[in-house]
Amino acid sequence: MYLWLALLWIIGWGVVGAVLIPRVYARRDLDVSQAALAGAMVGAASGPFGLALLAYFTPRLDWKWVVVPGAATVAIFLTAFAATYPNNLCVSNSAFVLTQVVNGLVVGIIYGLMALGLTLIFSILGIVSFAHGEFYMLGGMFVYYLTQEWFPGLHPLAAVVVSAVLTFVIGALFEVLFLRPMNTGQVERPGEYAILVTFGLSFFLQYTTLALVGANPKKVPRYFDYPRLAIPGEEGSLLKVTPGTVRLFEEIVIPSPRVTAAVIALILLGLLMWFLYRTWIGKALRAVSQDRQAAAVTGINPNVMNTLAFGLGGMLAGLSGASLVQVFSWVPWVGTQAAARSFVIIVLGGMGSLPGAFVGGLIVGVVEALGAGCVPDPHRAAAYIPAYGMLILVLVLLLKPTGLFGREL
Amino acid sequence: MNRNALWIWLPLGLGVVVMLLAPLALVSRPYIMHIAIVAYFYAILASSWALLAGYGGQFSFGHMAFMAIGAYTTGLFAKFVRLTTVPTGVCPEITVGSYTLFLLNPVTAGEPTCLDIAKATMPAGTLIYRPPIYVGILLGVLLGGVFGFLIGVLVLRLRQAYLALFTIGFSEILRVALNAEIAITDGPNGLELPPLFPKGVTIFGMYFDATSKIPPYYVMLFLFLGSMVFMHWLASSRYGLFFRSIREDEEAAAALGVNIVRYKVLLFVITSMIAAAAGAVEAHYIGVITPNILLILQMSLVIAMAVIGGMESLVGAAIGAILIEFALEFLRQNITIGPWTIDMTDWRLVFFGLLLMLTLRFQNNGLIYPIIQRLTRAGVTEEIAARRRLVPETVQEGEG
Amino acid sequence: MIELEVRNVVKHFGGLQALKGVSFRINGPERIGLIGPNGAGKTTLTNIISGVIKPTSGTVYFNGERIDPLKPYEIARRGLGRTFQITRAFRRMTVMENMLVPALALHPTANRRALEKKATEILEFLTIDHLAREFARNLSGGQQKLLELGRLLMLDPKLIILDEPFAGVHPKLRQTIWDFIVHVNENLERAFIIISHDMDTIFTLSKRLLVLNYGELIADGDPEAVRKDPRVIEAYLGEEEEEVAA
Ligand SMILES: Nc1ncnc2c1ncn2[C@@H]1O[C@H](COP(=O)(O)OP(=O)(O)OP(=O)(O)O)[C@@H](O)[C@H]1O
Ligand SMILES: [Mg+2]
Repeated sequence: MYLWLALLWIIGWGVVGAVLIPRVYARRDLDVSQAALAGAMVGAASGPFGLALLAYFTPRLDWKWVVVPGAATVAIFLTAFAATYPNNLCVSNSAFVLTQVVNGLVVGIIYGLMALGLTLIFSILGIVSFAHGEFYMLGGMFVYYLTQEWFPGLHPLAAVVVSAVLTFVIGALFEVLFLRPMNTGQVERPGEYAILVTFGLSFFLQYTTLALVGANPKKVPRYFDYPRLAIPGEEGSLLKVTPGTVRLFEEIVIPSPRVTAAVIALILLGLLMWFLYRTWIGKALRAVSQDRQAAAVTGINPNVMNTLAFGLGGMLAGLSGASLVQVFSWVPWVGTQAAARSFVIIVLGGMGSLPGAFVGGLIVGVVEALGAGCVPDPHRAAAYIPAYGMLILVLVLLLKPTGLFGREL
Repeated sequence: MNRNALWIWLPLGLGVVVMLLAPLALVSRPYIMHIAIVAYFYAILASSWALLAGYGGQFSFGHMAFMAIGAYTTGLFAKFVRLTTVPTGVCPEITVGSYTLFLLNPVTAGEPTCLDIAKATMPAGTLIYRPPIYVGILLGVLLGGVFGFLIGVLVLRLRQAYLALFTIGFSEILRVALNAEIAITDGPNGLELPPLFPKGVTIFGMYFDATSKIPPYYVMLFLFLGSMVFMHWLASSRYGLFFRSIREDEEAAAALGVNIVRYKVLLFVITSMIAAAAGAVEAHYIGVITPNILLILQMSLVIAMAVIGGMESLVGAAIGAILIEFALEFLRQNITIGPWTIDMTDWRLVFFGLLLMLTLRFQNNGLIYPIIQRLTRAGVTEEIAARRRLVPETVQEGEG
Repeated sequence: MIELEVRNVVKHFGGLQALKGVSFRINGPERIGLIGPNGAGKTTLTNIISGVIKPTSGTVYFNGERIDPLKPYEIARRGLGRTFQITRAFRRMTVMENMLVPALALHPTANRRALEKKATEILEFLTIDHLAREFARNLSGGQQKLLELGRLLMLDPKLIILDEPFAGVHPKLRQTIWDFIVHVNENLERAFIIISHDMDTIFTLSKRLLVLNYGELIADGDPEAVRKDPRVIEAYLGEEEEEVAA
């Protein structure tokens, strides 16, 4: 009951603020880039009182005007939630909440890795790849076939590496065949073309895989069985490891394949950063993302960089798939949801922003985990998982299309 | 000019006549009739998407969502709304004159609805009606328009990839909600709908029962032809010019007096209503609608149809859709080459994915539209060249 | 009646002051040149008058009505037309369709035949009538510029602002554009504001010159007077002065 009232308040005044405040600011010719978001947040948190003050004094809006009322809004929501469902696990059991959050963060790292690929493509080629999910799917499929069908006994990590190479090649090949003509003026409306042709690729890859391997879910056993371990001891241990789980402070449980995947992802992130910031090619890539013309003048071939970026982007998606195939069961359309999640993340983080993709990944991971764990009706909680992210996407596009770290449009 | 017009109107007229008379030849082949109905359904979707994206430049991936809004609205209307001559007293209801309109409450299987409870107290002879199907369909169309309006207003500032992402988000939220709210929508199992003509229908003295394909064939065909005529009129009127000018350059169009906001929103409303109408009719015809119709892959099929036909042409997109739907059905047969059997159910879609990419890459006007264009624009180039020769020296001598 | 009044228009972009209080009036079918170095604020001023951006402060009146709060299309329909610095023809529409957009936006129910006839006459004057059924994307850059001028005339504007109509055009084509401006200005009695970096052309073509420098209007008068204005010489023309005088 309280919850619905609180939601009504938050949404109602949020909308009022988002509509009203930009108008007030525009009329006084003040900076409106944050006005919709800040207006929504202040409205949601404080209703007509805060909005009236904001409209009257029109202070300069910086991030504080978003974060503080944003936090207040979350607090209102949580309080109302707790008051309405006092027996909900998320209210009564802090260990459960922590477990959800930690699991969300762990998975979020991998989401971030995948979204990083998408954002890399966007920052170099200026397009959103709608086939990103299929690279993710292929990454997992390759590992399955390498380790389970073609070369049984192959070390999973070796399979991960091979799958990375394969997804890179597919991405690069597609770029050369279908995206390069955009730069040479052979394609008339590059923006529309890029959307549709990557969409076509997604369709093509998904059905090719389906036709080749069928619809039966594939399962890869976990890559590593962790040794049994308890630190400092069995009783009251801080860290307890079994082959299938990692347990922190006796209370927070994380399945071990997820930990493996997150560790792989972190190592890859490190490698990627090293590549982008320490190697010549990486620097060239970043130069192209800053300013194509200037980069071209210094002798960097932008076409090569495009191919590289698309290949790398696809590879990052492939790698996330390759590290998660031991966690989830794998079907040819597994990428759709993952791609949707990546869209959410890069919009939330700001299109083209690398740190944004990582932070966005963590946020989406936590939101999904909490949503799945806390929504009262367990059936609904599970069914609505994909919607949480999409809600974020829609809200960010309406309130702050540049996302958290995005450059101004 | 006249010769050109003939070359266009003749095949089109012939096509329409064939479509109108096809049932005569196909009475005994309901399967083909079925494919034709579904093909018209896709043709409506593809051509209205072509109007939205090809003419208006709004690359929305939410077209199937509007279709689903139409379908679910009429489905839910048929499921939950009843008329009676005596107020139930327990259901939410309004009484107008001697009739009461009431809503059934969503229940899980086996539980009694409020109507079951009310029946105990209702006097004998109370009549309970289902409201007519067409009311639900009209409501669906209307709601499609309302949502089209809302989405149109919300996406005014979003361009290209951002718009695509937003509409994917909208469509996914709708799909998830339809899946999750099982008590209302029956979730993944799908919502069952009564047929278009539950009691059958009599046309020109011939009676067709509820399962006959002929009435739905004509309903869908007339919906298709009607929306084509309407969209064609719209596209060749000033609205079409404004839509295209917005696609080309919003700012320049505004500087020339075009009210961009109005025409963009209008475009969303109109195309959404058409999609909703198609969805509502199709859902009643098939008898069930599931949230899976909102999967992105369904949307990509519509896009593939429009692109392959030619998305800058309504007729091109429609023909593309009809051809592809028939091709998809006829390519279902497995192919056996020596020891291998190729399961075509999946490979045919691979083929269309490839065709979509190749069309985009090498023939981005589509495969059908250039043929139409060759007919409509026959002689234009020659005419221009001829007139260029007539213009002696295009500009006067400068003075310095 | 043609009356434009720009009153003390200021525009800030963040910390940058693109316009620092610009005021001037136009009365009747004048032919005005607007010059100034790159970044002086010429395009910004055009954008404010045509409603594309809103001024930080100041007002714009057109024929007695305040237009700065209006939307671009509303201003356009009141008879204020402008071109953009880069050519912006509707590329995937035919030349005739390009011409019809503003005409139909202005007169939604007008007879199309009549509008097409009017468009053909304008195209004839611009020497591109034979291209009426060609797609705009198939026109040369210069022809697209002509098309933009013709298209603008279909809006039936009282005041026309041209942002660098002579940039990058061949002398022959420049003559066509010149003739067009003079014809529309003198015979149809429409006012013009022409932005140009082509000193020869602008000094001879315009009857009155406005000079913008760093967002300030530093001169306003007939070309001869402006040419001699020491502030203009100092701020803008500099060494070029000799070339202009020649
Ligand atoms: N949207 C904008 N955001 C930030 N700064 C802008 C914007 N538009 C223009 N400016 C700045 O305002 C100043 C004036 O620009 P404007 O385009 O009006 O110059 P201009 O006189 O038209 O120059 P040119 O002759 O090069 O066309 C420039 O310093 C420009 O960088
Ligand atoms: Mg300029």
